[in-house]
Formats: sequence, C-alpha cells, structure tokens
Amino acid sequence: MTTLPAATRPAPRIRSRGPRRRIGIGRAASYLGAWSYALMLLLPLYYLLVSSFKDNSDIFASPLALPDSLSLRKFTTSLHDARLDLAIANSVIVTVLSLAVILLLAVPAAYALARATGKVAAVIERAFSLGFLIPTFAALVPTFLLAAQLGLFHTRTFLVLFLPATSLPLAVVLLTQFMRTVPNEVEEAARMDGAGNWTVLVRIYLPMVVPGIVTVLILSFLAFWNEYLYSLVIIGPDEAQRTIQVAVPTLRSSLSTDFGVLSAGTVVTLIPVYVVYAVLQRRMEGALMGGAVKV
Amino acid sequence: MTLTTMSTPPTPTTRSGPRSGRPSRRGPRTTVMAVPALLWYAVFMIGPIGAIFVISVLRWPGMLAEIDFAGLDNYRAVLGDGLFWQAARNSAVQLVIAVPIMIVGAFMLGYFISTKPRGYRVLKVIIFTPALISASAKAMIFWGMFAPQGVINKLLGSVGLEALQHAWIADTATAFGCIIAIDIWGGIGYTATLYAARLDALPASVHEAAELDGAGHWRRMWGIAYPMVRDYVGVTVMLQFLWTLFTSAQNVLLLTQGGPGNSSTNLSFLVYQKAFVQSDLGYSQAAGVLLFAIGLVGMLTIRRAFRQPY
Repeated sequence: MTTLPAATRPAPRIRSRGPRRRIGIGRAASYLGAWSYALMLLLPLYYLLVSSFKDNSDIFASPLALPDSLSLRKFTTSLHDARLDLAIANSVIVTVLSLAVILLLAVPAAYALARATGKVAAVIERAFSLGFLIPTFAALVPTFLLAAQLGLFHTRTFLVLFLPATSLPLAVVLLTQFMRTVPNEVEEAARMDGAGNWTVLVRIYLPMVVPGIVTVLILSFLAFWNEYLYSLVIIGPDEAQRTIQVAVPTLRSSLSTDFGVLSAGTVVTLIPVYVVYAVLQRRMEGALMGGAVKV
Repeated sequence: MTLTTMSTPPTPTTRSGPRSGRPSRRGPRTTVMAVPALLWYAVFMIGPIGAIFVISVLRWPGMLAEIDFAGLDNYRAVLGDGLFWQAARNSAVQLVIAVPIMIVGAFMLGYFISTKPRGYRVLKVIIFTPALISASAKAMIFWGMFAPQGVINKLLGSVGLEALQHAWIADTATAFGCIIAIDIWGGIGYTATLYAARLDALPASVHEAAELDGAGHWRRMWGIAYPMVRDYVGVTVMLQFLWTLFTSAQNVLLLTQGGPGNSSTNLSFLVYQKAFVQSDLGYSQAAGVLLFAIGLVGMLTIRRAFRQPY
C-alpha cells in the first residue's frame, strides 16, 4: 500500500518539466473561465442585495456601490405593498402540509415496494420510476381543469394535494432503495414478537432510513417553496391565498417600478432557502446530486 | 415479458417455502400499503397527462363554453398556424444554443473542480447557488438587471459601449436572447456540480495514469475523463433538454409575455398562452401533445447518441 504511491509519485515530478508548461496554459485558462463564471453568478446576487437598501435614483446612478444605510424601509414597503406577510404564511402552510402529505404517502409505499416480492409491486415501482421523465409543466392545463372540477379552484388546498404528487416518483424510488438496505433479520425478529406491518415500519424501518427521509424532505422543500407556475394558475391573484413566489412579481409596475422594493421582496423569497442551505449544506448538496442521478 | 415471468416466480417460493402460512401472505399485504401513493399518482399525474390527449381532440373555446368533439381540427389549426411554427423555431433555437453551451461549459467547469484546484471549495458553493433560486426570483433579478436603467446598461456605458445600450427585454432583437441567457446562467453551475461529484467518484488511479502519460489539461478532460462518464453526460443532456423545452415557459411569462410581437414565444409558452390568455383549450392541448411528442423523440434520440459505443 505505502510502497505503491511512493514509487509512482516521483515519476511525474521528473517528467513534469516538459509537459507542465503546456498544462499551465490549459489550467490558467480554466482558472480564468471558472472564476469569471463565478463572478457572473455572484454579481446579480450582489446587485439584488445592495439594491434592496437603495432608492431608484441610487440604483440607476451607482448600481454596484454599497448602500448608504441599512434601513429596512424597502423591506417593510414590500411586505406592505404585496401583502408579503400573508404570502409568507401561505407559502409556509402549503410547503409544510405538502411535506407532511408526501411523507404519509411515500413512506408506506416505499416500505411496501421494498419488501414485496410479487410482480404487481415490481410494476408499481417501474411506474413510479418512469414518472421522473414526466415534465410537470406538461399537465398544467388538465391539472387546472381538475382543480375546477373538484371545486378546489383558487384554493391552497388543491396545491397541498397536488404538489406532493409531483415529488412522489422521486420520493418513492429513493426511499424504496433506502428501505432495501434494512436487513431482513431485524424485521423477522420483530415479527416473531407479533409486530404487524405498521409497527415494523414505524419502529424498525423509520429510524433506519432517516437519511433518505431527510433527502426527500430537502428536495421537496426546495420544489414546493420555489414552485411558481402551478401556484399562479391554480391559486391565482387573491392576496389571502397566494404564495410568495406569486406575490413578489406583482411588485413590478409597467410605469414606475421601485426596484429597491422589488429587490427586497425577492430577497425575502430567498431567505428561507439560504437558511436551510446554511444549516444543511452538505446534506442539501448530496440530496440534489442523488435526486438528479436517479433518472 | 418472458424475462419477468421467468425471474420473478422463484423468489416467492424460496422465501415462503420454509415458513408457515403467515409470512407467505406478507407479500401481497405490504403491496396494499402502496395503494394510496399509487392512487395519488394516478389522479394528479397520470390522469392529467392522459387528459392532454383527450382535450386535444375537443372543441373547447373557454372554461364555460360548450364542449364538443373536434376530431383532428385542433391539430389542423395548430399545424396551419404561423405562430406555432414561429414558436417551434424559437424552441429549436433555444435548445440548439442553450443545451450545448450548458453541457460543454458545465463539463469543463466540473472537471476543473474535480481536479481540486486552489479555492475549489468556495467555487463549489458559488456555482451551486443557482439551484436554490426559484424561477420567479431569478426572473425578478434579471428583470432589474436588463431594465433600461439597470446595471447591464450602466456597465456598458462605463466602458464606452453606449452604442449597445438598449431595452434588452423590450426589444425584438434581444428579448428571446435574454431568456436563453438566463437558462445558461443557472444551468452551467448546477450541471457542473453534478459532473464534479461524478468525476470525484472515479478512482484516483485514472488521474495518476493520465499524469504519467504526460497528457495535457485538455486531453485529460476530453480524452480520458469524458469517455468514462459519457453515459452520465447523456443523462444530464436529456434532463437539460427536457427542462429547457418545458420549463422555460415560466421565464417567458415573467419577463416578456412572449413579446415584443411574438418574438419570444416558444412552444411551452404557446401552450400556456393559448389556454390561459386566449382560452382556446383544444388548440393549447393539441400543441401540448406535439410538445410532448417532441420531448419524447428528443429524449430517445439523445439516449441513442450517448449510448456507450461498445
């Protein structure tokens, strides 16, 4: 083990004189490209943040300058103008309830599919995994008609029922894979003691698949909190019902937008996501990786 | 078909064989627990997808209007409509520009990060941020930047390029370009993070061998790293293709409403606009079926193209 690296390491050092100069150009270009792109990502966010403390005249005159004061006036105006207080509450309600629904649906289903051996279960699992390939946008119009049909048009209720369905394929497939890693022996021992399906699921499986559940919760939280188009079409413009993603764009006006207020409102929509990211950085990155890999 | 019937039966027999009656009933009994999720999935996902096809053959001029059977009239209307073809052209342009730039840029960036250069941790955090920002927040940020008095025009002015200053999203020549630029802006970072993670998972000996070979940065990236993750790149191309084709309706809606004129109307926005602005549900869903078909064909084509050559 130790001899191998020792034997290989010196070699590149001796040889590197020649090639390294050529590598140097490639790497230098990569450094430049990567950090220019990073700058392009940061600049809009920086602009957004400093604008949320400025008046239009300051934003237009010196867009990249730091604000003169850190007064929260633009934030209070945005809260007041677009009723962001209600919108935040609505977004929290929709997100939290949808997360509860997705767990209530996906956890038993994943347990069932992980332990079942029949052909039916295999077909069900296949059906869920194909759901990855359905772009949610495709069914916008029929879903809107369904909401009207159920008498749940212009309500948050429909969104709470609907949003979990969009994350269901991912949640079920991911959790099924986690549940499969639980050794059979543990379950059999519990069954000897007379435990039923639900007892086994809650007492034995649930504690062992916590990482999977966290992944599902993170991914679904991002999807639900950030959801825009369905919220717009189904809940509509009613201030008492609409979510924050729908409310913030209404801060624009075709004649004279207060860019400071618009920026402040936008910052408000980002805060919860970045707070969660700050707390769960590693897990969140892992979750987004896993979520994308499982196609 | 034969494969499944051959491979599944032995499992239950071996599992339930040594046990008494109870465990053998366990299989079907747990499957029942998947029923609520399945119902939900059927009602809110599969049902609406199927309904697209049904609505596309109905004459349905508005929510409260009389509905009757239209046969293929909607498809005839769609295919004979100049706007549909303009939208299709815009979608094609969007895909042809955005997806290759995103994938190639993301791969180079992802590879660079996987070589762990100085400061790569910070870089990783920065390029991950677009994945966290919602469509409406992203659109609001760029609405401010592209505004006539926004930061982009200001920066152009400060380097003496006043000639380029104009109303970016209100100009026929640049409106759709802005939509594409926003796609690329966020798409590169997220995809690069995926590639970096994937390349990290390759055994270190690969890089060492390449270094011994004296291969340069470029050759190591495209000659050695890329072939090893080619099928994964195929998966991400497929995802970006679908995202670009379908979800960009949001950016169009939030920034340009398809205008000025119809210069930034693409297929997914057309589906939205016909249904919710012009209340022609039949037309909208006929276009939706065509969009769905394009998505499917594109997906299969990409899958074929990236299949490992062996």
